[in-house]
Amino acid sequence: MKIFFSILLTAILTNNYILSKFLGICPFLGVSKKLNTAVGMSLAVIFVMLLSSAVTYPLNTFLDNHGLGYLQTIVFILVIAALVQLVEIVLKKYIPALYSSLGIYLPLITTNCAVLGVTILNIDNGYSFSHAMINTLGAGLGFMVAMVMFAGVRSKLESCDVPKFLQGLPITLISASLTSLSFLGFTGLVENMFG
Amino acid sequence: MADKKSLGHEFTKGIIKENPVLRLVLGTCPTLATTTSLESAIGMGISAMIVLVCSNIVISALRKVIPQKVRIPCYIVIIAGFVTIVQMLVKAFLPSLDEQLGVYLPLIVVNCIILGRAEAFAGKNSVVASALDGLGMGVGFTCALAIMGTIRELLGSGSLYGHAILPESIPPMTIFVLAPGGFFVFGLVMACANKLAEAGGGKKATLGGCKACPMASSCEKLAAGEKCGEKEVEK
Amino acid sequence: MKKLNAKEILVPAVSLFIICLVVTALLAVTNMVTAPKIDELAAERQNEAKKVVLSDAESFSDEKTVEKDGVQYTYYEGLSQSEEKIGYVFLTSAKGYGGDIDIMVGIGNDGSVKGVTVLSISETAGLGMNAKNDKFLNQYKDKNSEISVIKTGTPSDNEIQALTGATITSKAVTSAVNTALDLYKTAGGEANG
Repeated sequence: MKIFFSILLTAILTNNYILSKFLGICPFLGVSKKLNTAVGMSLAVIFVMLLSSAVTYPLNTFLDNHGLGYLQTIVFILVIAALVQLVEIVLKKYIPALYSSLGIYLPLITTNCAVLGVTILNIDNGYSFSHAMINTLGAGLGFMVAMVMFAGVRSKLESCDVPKFLQGLPITLISASLTSLSFLGFTGLVENMFG
Repeated sequence: MADKKSLGHEFTKGIIKENPVLRLVLGTCPTLATTTSLESAIGMGISAMIVLVCSNIVISALRKVIPQKVRIPCYIVIIAGFVTIVQMLVKAFLPSLDEQLGVYLPLIVVNCIILGRAEAFAGKNSVVASALDGLGMGVGFTCALAIMGTIRELLGSGSLYGHAILPESIPPMTIFVLAPGGFFVFGLVMACANKLAEAGGGKKATLGGCKACPMASSCEKLAAGEKCGEKEVEK
Repeated sequence: MKKLNAKEILVPAVSLFIICLVVTALLAVTNMVTAPKIDELAAERQNEAKKVVLSDAESFSDEKTVEKDGVQYTYYEGLSQSEEKIGYVFLTSAKGYGGDIDIMVGIGNDGSVKGVTVLSISETAGLGMNAKNDKFLNQYKDKNSEISVIKTGTPSDNEIQALTGATITSKAVTSAVNTALDLYKTAGGEANG
């Protein structure tokens, strides 16, 4: 059990995909302006991440067994792209309510490096299937935590008097830097809980 | 049409005026992740440049053959193919670079610069122009990464390209090679670029948002109001 | 919904299929060219690493395995010029901050660590990655029993100083070295008995 919590908390707090691995920066900077869009995007990402990890993990075992490991990247990205399309079609047809809230984010996720990143890192880190899924969940939740927190930071930023040369993206990046700095503090937390 | 002057423009525009990182704000993930040292920054820049030029050439050569409907999957396959080739070559001939770039090497596939250029340029222009466009964008990308890498390695490790520069008596500020330092340096470099652009009469950098996003077409259908358009950080 | 005709579906599908096929073929060719080179490189690096961790040895035995707690570990015996066994090189690993850290540990006949080198590591740059530095790894030299990690103060006989801001990494490397020390007892016992 301990290892599950350790993987989960590490992925959410200390190895946060956005703030320490720099995966999924585009949506982080782009879609974090409003709280509800941030939540919607994150939910869609968690969903697609879990789904694609569940599919790519056994696929990778299959590829490796047949000496086709070098096709990993191409297979993974195609699987993710296909899955995103599939999910979109299924949601549209059967769960229109969910589609109307998540649907618009789905196409944007195909090229989200956090999704491809988590599937590749699951393999690289040599996780077992259950550990890989926990890690994926942690990565997704970590994505959400970072997005939601940053949406809060940015809403405060709107009413601030920012020096002219920093307006727009530069100040956004600098506040991201401070947010990421605060996450650095979690290192000790996980270390002492599980170290 | 394709006289010398405009071809030259295809090449140079990517370096300064439409620098993918500092002006179009594309490919931010590798910009932040692989600039902990100058060596890995240049390695990433050149790897991405090779993929960009090759995929631009192939995609523009095939632009009449690729059906409009499945063009995005086609682009992805072609790009992923080149990325894997580069990945294998780096593994075989530059193992230390492979170790430094790690997962970010296969992640070139989802680097928005490459898909973005395929969609915005290579799918519509001639082979020569696309090759030059890719080369220019690649050089611009590498330059931006090299600037970031230089600042972060110098301040964070006190060295440059692996050679110690600062004397032992000045302890390096490790924070610059850590994640917060990455965001911070990127923010400041962006501010400088904005300042320079302003002096030159250009626009402020805005998040590439819809225009550069390869998924723009599918997005536009659905987007209304805040959904996508507001992504752009307006002045 | 308007009915799609066959051509509208077939043409894109076939062209996508052909592109996939061509790309895969290209990859297979590149793989054929690079795969032996990659393997060769890995073997070469392992050979170099073996010499680093057990510098007294002139040559090494073939790969051998030893089992501990149900896990198989690879090791090599280091041989002197006169083909006498002078030590062991163990390959061990432990979970670090960013995945597995693989290390190689050289242990002499007297049971003390002769050298440690990191084979693969993906820790945070600037913190955990410092585990590759000699300054950190040299701390393990001449240790001969269970090693522990301390964060502050002066390390005593069987202690090593943790890397700043990377206790998890330091502990992981240390536990891998400890595994090697355990394996030495198992493998050494077998060979001597």
